[in-house]
Amino acid sequence: MSPDLAVVVAAVALPFVAAALTPLVFRVFGERTGFLGTAVALASFGLLATQYGTEGSVALEWIPSLNVALRFYVDGWALLFAMLATGIGALVFTYSPAYMHGQAGLPRYYAALLAFMGSIVGVALAADLIAIFLFWELTSLASFVLIGYYTADDSSQYAARMAMFITVGGGLFLLVGLLLLSIVAGDVLGPGAAFDLATMLENPDTMRSALRERGLFIPVLGLLAIGAGTKSAQVPVHFWLPNAMAAPTPVSAFLHSATMVKVGVYFIGRVRPMLVGEEWLFLFATLGLTTMTVCAIMAVAATDIKELLAYSTASHLGLMVAGFGFTSVYGAETGVFHLLNHALFKAALFLVAGIVAHEAGTREIEELGGLRHDLPVTAAITGVVALSMAGIPPFNGFYSKELLFEAAVEASHHHEIGVLGWLYPAVAVFGSIFTVLYSLRFLSLFVGERPDALGHVHRPPVSLLAPPAVLALLAAAVSVDPQRAVDLIVQSGLEATAVDPHAMHVGLPTSYSTPVGMSAVTIGAGVLAYPAYGRIHDGVRAGLEAVPPIRANWWYDRVVEGLSDEGRAFAEWVHNGHLRTYATWTLAATCALALTGFVAAGAIVPTTMGLEVTVPIALVLLVAVIGAVAVARADTHIAGILTLSILGFMIAIFYILASAPDLALTQLVVETLVLVIFLLVVEEIPERYEIEVGRVARDAALSVAVGATVFVTILVTTDARPDGPTEIARAYAEQAVPGGGGTNIVNVTLVDFRGFDTLGELAVIALASISILTLIVMRGRGDASPAGDDGSRADSTDDGPTADAGTDGGPSGGEDA
Amino acid sequence: MRTTARAIVPIVLVVAISLFVEGHNLPGGGFIGGVLTVTAFGIVYMAFGLDFLERGVLGREVDPGKGPSRDRVVLAYRRLFAYGFAIAVVSGLAPLVFERPFLTQTFVMLEGVPIYDHLEVASALAFDFGVYCVVVGGLLTILSVVGAE
Repeated sequence: MSPDLAVVVAAVALPFVAAALTPLVFRVFGERTGFLGTAVALASFGLLATQYGTEGSVALEWIPSLNVALRFYVDGWALLFAMLATGIGALVFTYSPAYMHGQAGLPRYYAALLAFMGSIVGVALAADLIAIFLFWELTSLASFVLIGYYTADDSSQYAARMAMFITVGGGLFLLVGLLLLSIVAGDVLGPGAAFDLATMLENPDTMRSALRERGLFIPVLGLLAIGAGTKSAQVPVHFWLPNAMAAPTPVSAFLHSATMVKVGVYFIGRVRPMLVGEEWLFLFATLGLTTMTVCAIMAVAATDIKELLAYSTASHLGLMVAGFGFTSVYGAETGVFHLLNHALFKAALFLVAGIVAHEAGTREIEELGGLRHDLPVTAAITGVVALSMAGIPPFNGFYSKELLFEAAVEASHHHEIGVLGWLYPAVAVFGSIFTVLYSLRFLSLFVGERPDALGHVHRPPVSLLAPPAVLALLAAAVSVDPQRAVDLIVQSGLEATAVDPHAMHVGLPTSYSTPVGMSAVTIGAGVLAYPAYGRIHDGVRAGLEAVPPIRANWWYDRVVEGLSDEGRAFAEWVHNGHLRTYATWTLAATCALALTGFVAAGAIVPTTMGLEVTVPIALVLLVAVIGAVAVARADTHIAGILTLSILGFMIAIFYILASAPDLALTQLVVETLVLVIFLLVVEEIPERYEIEVGRVARDAALSVAVGATVFVTILVTTDARPDGPTEIARAYAEQAVPGGGGTNIVNVTLVDFRGFDTLGELAVIALASISILTLIVMRGRGDASPAGDDGSRADSTDDGPTADAGTDGGPSGGEDA
Repeated sequence: MRTTARAIVPIVLVVAISLFVEGHNLPGGGFIGGVLTVTAFGIVYMAFGLDFLERGVLGREVDPGKGPSRDRVVLAYRRLFAYGFAIAVVSGLAPLVFERPFLTQTFVMLEGVPIYDHLEVASALAFDFGVYCVVVGGLLTILSVVGAE
């Protein structure tokens, strides 16, 4: 059964529409807007639920000339992720009004949250590479707005910038990877499939062999891995996720544990059938297991409950990536099943952390304890979900962790991987021990003695308790009957991500096997080591403080600070307030780029020039050259300007001789006008000042370079033209009267054939006028520039006519064309 | 200078307008017509001073020395190029109503018009008028603002 386009589009568009209406809605409903968000999320969820069991792609035309369409592909995997996003979204919207009570900027909060939900549903369902990228970056953007929600808080701004920098930067790698993919797909599957991921996934073997043939397999794999790894906070860029905890807790629960950070994992699962292979195993299994272990250790070192959960999230993301990294079917089972399990228990844990922070007023682990007396319901919820996180049987986290162990053990059966064959399972067990440790630590907030310093803890309202309770109940349901969950949703997700899917079975182990032994070791070691938690915690922290370079955050700070210092220094050097500096840089850069371009394109070839110059033209040009020389030798500015106009008028005459009356007219009038404006400005320029020899030499070299560039450009561009009028010129000449209704071809070309160009030039004139106006009007105000000597001030006045000359050049250049 | 200006400014303006109108069939067009118009204004400015338009022609009072954008004519120039740009864009959008691509132009021959016998009305004229307005407005803004310095 194929999905219904209207329903799918509505499910994606609804949150965006709601986001756009939020500012208006908020005026009417105030803080209760959150519950409307719940309604929107539930509506989207319902729409998606009607598509349950369908599979196939539907498309909305977008840019047909480039074969880009708003294409959606619905299958079990997409539905699992999209319904997870809307379902948890509904709970987070319910939770928000009580948690965010009394905060400023709530319309922005709800709008961003709704827009985020739309983009996450979009990224789950999109099957067009461009659409995927678009929704992908939209989620990063929404995350930026939400992390930076507390705009007055510096650390929140820092975290928002960091998350943006890492995830959007990674998105650019993804973009390159997607484009490479589309080039290959366009070649082997036909141009219609260039951006169609659904078609690519239907022909995985063709795509794989085509990628390998072109030597693009490793680059594409690497680029997609960077994109997914940055989004899913994999080592070494995992550090943005704990920083992102500056966001309000509902945001952390929604974006930074349940959905946005899973986009990377989701995408890895999505392209898995197409790119799976030995390289895939090495890359993702290693990456995932490293992240899982490193972040689990960091979680043990955390002092803040949200920090603990953040590192734990990164660690579990590593687990999912590692799962998908293992090529056997168990790998896919791990990835899909753990994605569901993790969303259920981690979102609940974050919401619990929010309750604790909200009611107890602190998030420091040291200051909390014995909360079961004050928060009994919350304690019960935590019991279920924390044990699930630890992977203790029979809670749901256990089943997916067991699958990971199985996949890790199986890896050596499928591939010749030597020492990695036992290293993978060993690392998986080692990392999981820390998972057990920090899960128990989180649980211990609710048991044991209540610290005396802890003040009065309020009872949370129902709207704060209900969402985590729902999640805990779902987690408990999956724990009790995992097979039902598998049959309902996980199996169909598995079919989309596994190479050789078969019916999946999970349940409590009844006999001994290697993975069961590994689980026993993990839990046993974790529980035994728990009494030493304090010492492990201190040891890891001491290690991190002793050697800063092992913290990824340190590298980030160094790189960002270094870059901005360099940038500032460079800007002061280039952008120093002297017009002559700008002119030098602009001209030199333009020349260098143009000449490099010609050389790179191999456009410069020796040609013989046939000079056909009549006597009048030669005379006119001679006068022009003499005028040019005289300009350089003029004593005063006025003389120089007047001499310059000789050059201009000679060019006008040249146009007449070359039978271009329109150009000649324009040149004459413009020349006159420029002369007037120059004369107006010239008195502002200091009459004469000493110029050192070095600067004269530099200016001379620059002038020669500009002249040479122009010369070469004209040679190259006119040389490429075939003899006689080109096809375009003939077409214009023929079409001018019947098509444009005018006998002046130049004018018809300007206003009709190339009207769009003219419109662009109009925009340039308007912009130039506005900028000159602004420059002159504002000049009096901002005179605090460091380089305020007389020379530079005269230079900045000069800005006006210089830009003006450029404006005049625009339209007359258009007439040339 | 003033006498000459009195004589030539109207001529220049008429020539500019004729260049603009005739542009479709003879050398000329919105751009060049615009530039020529600006030249005429330039002559007025040079011969009579910057405030002449305000005081002499429009009969308004001017507070001297309040900065370059003090003239209300400058505001008028700025409006002119804004409107010109709008005219150009709207004339480009108009074809969309008739389901033609952006900036499609057409023309109508009007037969039997007195004096001219037959007159061609090209839709491009509207676009060209936009060009004219932008050029006149933009350049005059620059000229008067720079001139006021």
